[in-house]
Amino acid sequence: MSRAHSPQPAGAARAQAPGASPEAGPEALLRDRRIVVTVGSGGVGKTTLAAAIALSAAREGRRALVITIDPAKRLADALGLGALSGEPRALPADRLAEMGVPAGGGLEAMMLDMKRTFDDLVRRFSPDPAAQERIFANPIYQHVSDALAGSAEYSAMEKVFELSQREDLDLIVLDTPPSKHALDFLEAPERLVGLLDSRVVQVLLHPAFAGARFGFRVFQRGVQQVLRVIERVSGLGFLEDLSEFLLAFEAMSEGFRERARQVEALLFGPQTAFVLAAGPARESVAHATRFLTRLEETGADVAGLVLNRMRTWPSSEPLPEGEPDPAARADLAEALANDANRTGDAPAAGDFDAEAAADAALTLAYGYASMVRRDERETAPLRDRAQRAGCFVRRVAELPRDVHDLEGLDRVAAYVFAGDPERVSDEERAR
Amino acid sequence: MSNPRLSGPSSPRSQPPLRDLLDRHLVIVTGKGGTGKTSVAAALGLRAAARGLRVCVVETGLDEHVPRLVAPDSTPGTPLRPGLESLRIDPYEALAEYLTLQLGVPGLATRVLRNEGFRKLLDAAPGWRELVTLGKVWHLREQGEFDLLLVDAPATGHGLTFLDVPRVVGSAVRAGPLRRHAGWVEEMVRDPQNTVLLPVALAEELPARETAELVTRLREDVGVPVDRVVANAVASPPFPESVADLDVRLGRIDLPASDTRPSSRTLAGCAAHLRSRYELNRAYLEHLREWTALPTIELPLLPEGVTGPADLDLLGRRLLGEAT
Repeated sequence: MSRAHSPQPAGAARAQAPGASPEAGPEALLRDRRIVVTVGSGGVGKTTLAAAIALSAAREGRRALVITIDPAKRLADALGLGALSGEPRALPADRLAEMGVPAGGGLEAMMLDMKRTFDDLVRRFSPDPAAQERIFANPIYQHVSDALAGSAEYSAMEKVFELSQREDLDLIVLDTPPSKHALDFLEAPERLVGLLDSRVVQVLLHPAFAGARFGFRVFQRGVQQVLRVIERVSGLGFLEDLSEFLLAFEAMSEGFRERARQVEALLFGPQTAFVLAAGPARESVAHATRFLTRLEETGADVAGLVLNRMRTWPSSEPLPEGEPDPAARADLAEALANDANRTGDAPAAGDFDAEAAADAALTLAYGYASMVRRDERETAPLRDRAQRAGCFVRRVAELPRDVHDLEGLDRVAAYVFAGDPERVSDEERAR
Repeated sequence: MSNPRLSGPSSPRSQPPLRDLLDRHLVIVTGKGGTGKTSVAAALGLRAAARGLRVCVVETGLDEHVPRLVAPDSTPGTPLRPGLESLRIDPYEALAEYLTLQLGVPGLATRVLRNEGFRKLLDAAPGWRELVTLGKVWHLREQGEFDLLLVDAPATGHGLTFLDVPRVVGSAVRAGPLRRHAGWVEEMVRDPQNTVLLPVALAEELPARETAELVTRLREDVGVPVDRVVANAVASPPFPESVADLDVRLGRIDLPASDTRPSSRTLAGCAAHLRSRYELNRAYLEHLREWTALPTIELPLLPEGVTGPADLDLLGRRLLGEAT
């Protein structure tokens, strides 16, 4: 599904910009953009990445807001989102100072309340209270907005637009719902507008329809067929509900259509950048590669790729290969034995098997080295692909503990924005 | 074990021995993206076929993964192994099939589906994909070609959305065949004799919490049977019990790197990292047990990921408690 009026691929646009470096680093996101959208399949650390970007912007003295979808509890706590809230909450000044945010910088966070936002939309665009009540009471609306999949995307887009109107925000970071269909959330506004414009729906919107069961005979053959098929499968009651729902919706469609256009202009304009998150698992790499292609096709400006949870060698020494050398084991065993004697820290005097310990240390390190190599190898094609598209590429090491707290955010931010991976790994080592 | 009088809803109850997982007609494998549920479904398929069952692994994602995992060299259109097939359900194709069956007029469904307006209606309408996918599963069951269907459920949102759609559609549609059919599908999904949901989690905060929520809601309102959860990719102890503090010891000595060996500091770094990951997994495994009050099957972390049928065979045996 390519967009009807695709602008040229963003990568190409960037490459042509005079004086632009081939790769604008992640710092540029914080400086030059109004909206950053983190995208990727589930479980690759999108939410943490979004929060880390917003925190980094705040530390640069910008006023940032992060919209998260489903944060881990401790991350929510760290962001002051202890209670579920569909409204932005600003972190208090003392908390900001603790987080290293200078005066002038700000950080707000909110969790998307999908149901409420959709209701808000109805309230805003309904021409009168009666129309509003008709929508709320319609069984199809109740299920569409509440129980069924899909409304998350509409609401996310709507909320971003609303927030973009606020002049006291420099940067909005949007964490997107994990989606199976790569770009559900981007295409949602367009889909809704397309729906209201379609002929089948126009027929359903015809006021005569609800009363006249066979009234649609007058319409063209294709439409007739569609309606007959729907009727046969779902019964007339459903068509009536659908017609009523669409009628009510139609009343607010002008506002809605306009809004969809504005959202689209916002997301595909120069002030918005997308950052793709992926993990080293094979499935995740494959998914991210397709995602990147799709994003480019839609004209989205993909600024960067962040590879999360990469198993990373803890020093700048070369990765060992093959099997541990028996000779190399001897001096390690000796050092461990000396240490045990010196500290007296043995399970019981004389019980400590230094040979076995040295063996275990080397075995696990060689094993870990092969995991590190595996993650590098598996992600190489994706990294190349992203670099060719003009994206920055950053790796975030698999962290020793869960990252769902402030410390975790710090470290993810350091990996993404420190720019010098070696420096990060030195810091890691120092810990 | 625990005192029965003390066991609340979140503590493990003494339970009768677990029923064999494959002793049903439908196993729905669910989980957040990245938990490895496709591998779990494929692994179960492999073992079920080895037991002589006629099995179909049903995929619901945009891409087909199972054939490549199970039998990288198989020819499309042939069984992956004797007794084992896989199928990817495409919602549009499934809808065309369903409409053709309903209308009894060949070609009409295709024409209707080609109608641009109808496509737009479908593009915007939520829920129907889940419903026709489950409808197709129901149809496969009715046809009786397979003893066992293993469904790799969509990773989108909560696994519940997927399973709850028949009920929701049933209540949104007042009458007609669609309502009746949604009822059949709902019955299938809730059948405690023949259906079971198998959540796959990782022993980490988010997937563990989400799985706990899923299980709670299954118990409380959806009524889809679930009797165990899978904790995938659980790290094994990085070093033997006898040197449990190996990372600390390595951190105390100061041996520079040689041509044949990393420095003690690097070795300590590796050991400390693997130990942290191991301890993290153990902690969340405990949480998972406590939060779901269900038996948890641990699957080992495979350092290279699932690379082929041999790995699946190992995972399948662990899942079923068979000797490895």
